[in-house]
Amino acid sequence: MNRGQLIAILIGVFAFAGLALTAIAGGDDEPTTVAAAPASSGDDAAQDSGGGDTADDGAAQADDTDADNGTSDEDVAALPAPENLGPAGTLTDLDGWLQTDATQFEDFDGQVRIVQFWTFGCINCKNTLDQIGFLYDTYGPDGLEVIGVHTPEFDFEKDPDAIAEAAVNLNVTWPIALDTRKTNFRSWQEGRRFWPRTYVVDANGDIRFDHIGEFGGSSYDELEATIAYLTANGGA
Amino acid sequence: MLTQAIDLLLEGFETAFFPCSLVLLIPGLATAITARQESSAALTGYGAAVLVVGWLRFSARIDDTPTVIVAMAFAAAALLLIVPLIRRLNIVSATGGAIAGLAAASLWEPCVGAAFGSLLVDLPGGGPGSFVMMSLYLAGIVAPLAVLGAVLHVIPNPTLLPIRPVMMFAGGAVFFIMAIATATGFVDSVIGQLVQWSI
Repeated sequence: MNRGQLIAILIGVFAFAGLALTAIAGGDDEPTTVAAAPASSGDDAAQDSGGGDTADDGAAQADDTDADNGTSDEDVAALPAPENLGPAGTLTDLDGWLQTDATQFEDFDGQVRIVQFWTFGCINCKNTLDQIGFLYDTYGPDGLEVIGVHTPEFDFEKDPDAIAEAAVNLNVTWPIALDTRKTNFRSWQEGRRFWPRTYVVDANGDIRFDHIGEFGGSSYDELEATIAYLTANGGA
Repeated sequence: MLTQAIDLLLEGFETAFFPCSLVLLIPGLATAITARQESSAALTGYGAAVLVVGWLRFSARIDDTPTVIVAMAFAAAALLLIVPLIRRLNIVSATGGAIAGLAAASLWEPCVGAAFGSLLVDLPGGGPGSFVMMSLYLAGIVAPLAVLGAVLHVIPNPTLLPIRPVMMFAGGAVFFIMAIATATGFVDSVIGQLVQWSI
């Protein structure tokens, strides 16, 4: 090995070490959940407020903001309608449902629905659950339903008992559709398949929101604004 | 732009340690150890192929590759990387690595964080800028492999000599297991078992 190669290798190793340290140091500040939900649709409320917050914290904070911001249903209804992205598919070839009496996707027809493809072994999916839970608690009384389509990546994520146990541990209280064979994961996402993938389906069965991955930037605000709009406008 | 670039790099590096990246890292690891001291060339080919195929797939420019072809690609990569007669040729190692990268990227269904998610939303209509951004994300993911490749370079040739056959056959075995698992539809089971063992 000549001197040039050695220097190149050393630079690479130091760069890697620096990157690792930066990632580790940054990890402490990385928010694990979103606590401060937007006070109302369109507000620029900060999503991230540091690690360790819980959905309960988020709900409590949102209750406060709801009380404080004075935003009415009329204000929300007056916002621009979220874009219609076309008709949603249905859920077929499922291996059952958990935490609901529903037996098919059509049982939720006429409701505003968050449909999220997730699996309990995926850290990025888990990082969205408190946010989804907050929305479920907040807008559930207004007609929002959440359907977590559990699509396992690995075999150990296929066991319904393990999924049910994970749901309890992760505070997933909404209905779970078991897409064990990935049929719907593939048909909804076609060639671009990712965990998590979050859709909002309106009461007419059209997709009004589509997001890949964790919620960053303004995406959570957009999600909540979509739900707030739809629930305030009769679902469509 | 700079913030997004750094976010992508760091998120990619963090993702390297998540189970959903194993489908990329296991063939990458096999590429490095099979190619031994040609691992730099092999891993360069591997990373380039993952980037190109990943970008084409996630920007909806190409469809899925049939699993039979993916399986054959794994087997072909193994042969190119372990055939003793051509093992000293960097171009062959790079080609073997590229074929392995093509196969791995065809199987990749990523778990997505916030930064990569933002990029993926824009990818279908994205131009060269999106390709550069995705290369940063992938650079983060393959950083551990780059370190392994560097280590294999640092170790003197005589030191590696006694374990060369072991490395060669271990890496080759990984490729053939991946080939069989892909062809039979059990690749998720194989990687899932590794994940379970690791936790």
